[in-house]
Amino acid sequence: MGDIVKLQLHSRIAYVDLVHAMTEELARQARFPKPAALDIALAVREAFINAVKHGNSMDDAKLVEVEFERNASRFRVWVRDQGPGFDWEKTADPRDEQNLVRTSGRGIFFMKSFVDSVIFQNLPGRGTQVMLEKKLEAPARGQAQSGRHR
Amino acid sequence: MKASVRHHGKVTVVDLSGKITIGDGDIKLRETVNALLDEGRRAVILNLIGVSYMDSAGIGELVACYKRAAEKGAKLKLLNPGGKVQDLLVLTRLQEIFEIYRDEREALTSF
Repeated sequence: MGDIVKLQLHSRIAYVDLVHAMTEELARQARFPKPAALDIALAVREAFINAVKHGNSMDDAKLVEVEFERNASRFRVWVRDQGPGFDWEKTADPRDEQNLVRTSGRGIFFMKSFVDSVIFQNLPGRGTQVMLEKKLEAPARGQAQSGRHR
Repeated sequence: MKASVRHHGKVTVVDLSGKITIGDGDIKLRETVNALLDEGRRAVILNLIGVSYMDSAGIGELVACYKRAAEKGAKLKLLNPGGKVQDLLVLTRLQEIFEIYRDEREALTSF
């Protein structure tokens, strides 16, 4: 187990930038390069929006929990809502010809595109949880050596 | 997100900067494009050079603007998407839908 940071937020879209910024900062601290940290933040951003809109149905009284865990090899984020659950497997592929000009339906696709692993789980009576994971690539040998001399 | 509008004859260029995301950028983009279409502008270029990234809501609004423009007989084209924005357009295959230009002069004369 590595470092753990946990947030509880009311179901407000206004908090999405806060979640995004925190994710990006924690990913940078975990030594992800800037583009990878942005990818993780974009994936978590979509998970949080999903939890607020489709999980908690914008009910401000319901909470969204965002939990970060990082260690030397990977960064994991859990996003949990308190809603009745939703069918994440029903989402269509936004790259299919007939879906290209749809104005919605790209959130889960973005999540899966930006991190290595996305696992949804219904927690009976407690809501839905999604776990996002990005592995930290080992630095190239030359980079590791130059790091030691700094 | 910030949007500033310039007119070059019949063509309007909207210089966008910041991020096009849910709750802020997407609304600003919608309002800006709607206002131009309501004014009767029929040739619009969105200059994305200053846009750092978009989320799914931002991409969705970009598509919505494209469709609204088409419904009104207008054309909406993209200029200079960079870095993450270009990646997102490729990832979503929207680069196959939008006309995308790297050179403003070429974009202006394309209508």
